[in-house]
Amino acid sequence: MTSTILDPAPATVTGPPARQSRKRRSSTTRKTLGDWMILLVAVLIGLLIAVPFFLILINSFKSPADYNQAGPLTLPTSLYFDGMINFWERVNFPGKLWNSFFISSVVAILAVVISLLNAFALGIGRVRGRTWIVLLILLANMLPQEVLLYPLYFMFKTVGLYDNQWAVIIIFVVIQSAFGTYLLASVLGTFPKEILEAASLDGASRWTILYRVVYPITKPTLSVLVIFFFIWTWNEFLIPLTFLVSNASQTVPVSIAVLQGDRLMDVTTTSASALLGLLPTLIFFLIFQRTLTRGITAGAVK
Amino acid sequence: MKKTKRSLAGIAMLGVSALLLSGCSAGAGEADSNTLKLWHFESDTSAMGIAWEEAIKVFEEETGATVEFEEKSFEQIRSTASQVLNSNEAPDILEYNKGNATAGLLASQGLLSDLDDDYAEYGWDDALAPSLQTTARYDEDGIMGSGAFYGVPNYGEFVEMYYNKDMFAAAGLEVPTTVAELETVMKAFTDQGITPLAESAAEYPLGQLWYQLALTKADRSFVDDYQLYTGDVDWSGPEVTYATETIKDWTDAGYISTDASGFKAEDAGTAFINGTYPIFYSGSWWHNRFTTEATGFEWGTFLFPEAEMSPGSAGNMWVIPEKAKNKDLAAQFIDITMRPEIQALIGNNGGIPVAADTSDITDAKSQELIGNFNTLTERDGIAFYPDWPTATFYDELNAGLQELINGSKSPAEINEQLGGQYTSGVDDIVG
Repeated sequence: MTSTILDPAPATVTGPPARQSRKRRSSTTRKTLGDWMILLVAVLIGLLIAVPFFLILINSFKSPADYNQAGPLTLPTSLYFDGMINFWERVNFPGKLWNSFFISSVVAILAVVISLLNAFALGIGRVRGRTWIVLLILLANMLPQEVLLYPLYFMFKTVGLYDNQWAVIIIFVVIQSAFGTYLLASVLGTFPKEILEAASLDGASRWTILYRVVYPITKPTLSVLVIFFFIWTWNEFLIPLTFLVSNASQTVPVSIAVLQGDRLMDVTTTSASALLGLLPTLIFFLIFQRTLTRGITAGAVK
Repeated sequence: MKKTKRSLAGIAMLGVSALLLSGCSAGAGEADSNTLKLWHFESDTSAMGIAWEEAIKVFEEETGATVEFEEKSFEQIRSTASQVLNSNEAPDILEYNKGNATAGLLASQGLLSDLDDDYAEYGWDDALAPSLQTTARYDEDGIMGSGAFYGVPNYGEFVEMYYNKDMFAAAGLEVPTTVAELETVMKAFTDQGITPLAESAAEYPLGQLWYQLALTKADRSFVDDYQLYTGDVDWSGPEVTYATETIKDWTDAGYISTDASGFKAEDAGTAFINGTYPIFYSGSWWHNRFTTEATGFEWGTFLFPEAEMSPGSAGNMWVIPEKAKNKDLAAQFIDITMRPEIQALIGNNGGIPVAADTSDITDAKSQELIGNFNTLTERDGIAFYPDWPTATFYDELNAGLQELINGSKSPAEINEQLGGQYTSGVDDIVG
């Protein structure tokens, strides 16, 4: 069976990190030179990743005159908030914030629910040919969105959902749950049979097993997925741009595009808008960061 | 585990409340016969934004109709127009890009209304110079220059020389009136250790300078061949050869920095604003920005010396979708935007009106700008842009010129390479 090829992989993926973190914890008292080197490399990589963010941050508070004189790399000579205020008022930012938040949270919740149901069938239910089913589902993720655009446009126009937030929600629930199904099916494929057998011996139905046994154990993984789906959906641009025609239904990334003109660009206001667009996801991440670090490893079976 | 549970519950709560509240964000208003749904992508502080806001006011007063205006992003209209205009969400009127790949394509797909009758009724063609009408008409294949009218441009744009008056005065230099004088001026700056030309080869500026140089040796038939495919362009002829070789010579002489190959238009523009370079050859779209941001010195403009023609065109234009519900109202609105008082508003706020009286323009800087533009249109000198003929020529031209100023290829090799790319692109279109 093809499924046997796929099965051992998740076990090796989820296994080692747990063991590694335990080893690391035991050696916190005495750090070797190697540990310091790794820390140094990690810090350097972290700084490199943070560079664009710093650039956005320093240019957001710079006046256009300051930017013209000194370029993008220097610190602002004085704090300048007009760019941010102008953008806020021009696009009615709170409204966009709400749209993004609404779409992203509905997508995150629905996509995780569907992922869990799919994965329960595929990972625990052991459906025949599930590798191919997972592959088929993953197509939603693997195809570039440009390819999907026209078919989706005609589909949603026919059913009268064009220029409606639900079109975007439905599309992203499918796309995100494709990834969720893949991940969760792999995790649940390694779910210990003993627990499931014990449950069914106790007379639990499939629904009860899902709700009372599988769901509580996979909950940390599910919450990580919720966070990922939320942030990924938040940052989507092309599909919201196409499907949300009226300004009142648009999302934050789409509204940021208003600042991009035919030939000219306004670096400082664009930075300010990028910062405004980025802050909510950053805040969201910081709030749920503890859930994230517990991560997928906690979902593996103990 | 408890934390996870609480935060999960929190997310779920937010999701549910979002679901409940969504009721108010749905539901779009149905257009009635007295509403004009209007889209454009100009910011409300720009010349067009200010003028069109006034036009909306006048329109509402005169017709009693209400305007339902939404400011769109350039990007959104560019990438989703063909879908929106094919649906019931189409507006009654919108600002749209001119060109074969944009308005031409939509016109050939039947998504835009034929405006010939409106042109005849309102007499818009009398107000527009012939070279400005080129981008408003498209044939059945969507190629501009002939066929029916599909749009009405409100403003124009062109490319000219911006110069730093203070730096010219400090070096004791005058505004050049011939190419030879221009070279003398640039030589004087180079001798002082100043690179005279702010350039960018990563984006459009150097390509436009290259095209301008070709235009100094060209006549209208060259432009028609190049832009409207009426004949073959000779890529080893005097126009192109002169342009490519002059760029090479100017780079070798230090008038153009080899660093320009990595610069973007924004880099060249800000370098002019902060006084690094005394001369910047670029479009009228910079004018407003220089007025508000280049405050550290006096600057002025002049047309490229010894050239009858310069790059430029009518600006983006009003189009009426075929699916528009109130086409008559839309045409009435367009007519209001063509009135002298609205056109004067464009001119007095840093834009270039297509049908204004120069006497209505009060701002001195704007007078100079519009004067230059009118000089060009009067001598039929609007020559469009070098990258228009094919969809890929913009990148090909930039890449070629980068290789030229890096010295990795000779002018003859560049001409041959560009000629091949241009010809194969045009063959795809003309068939």
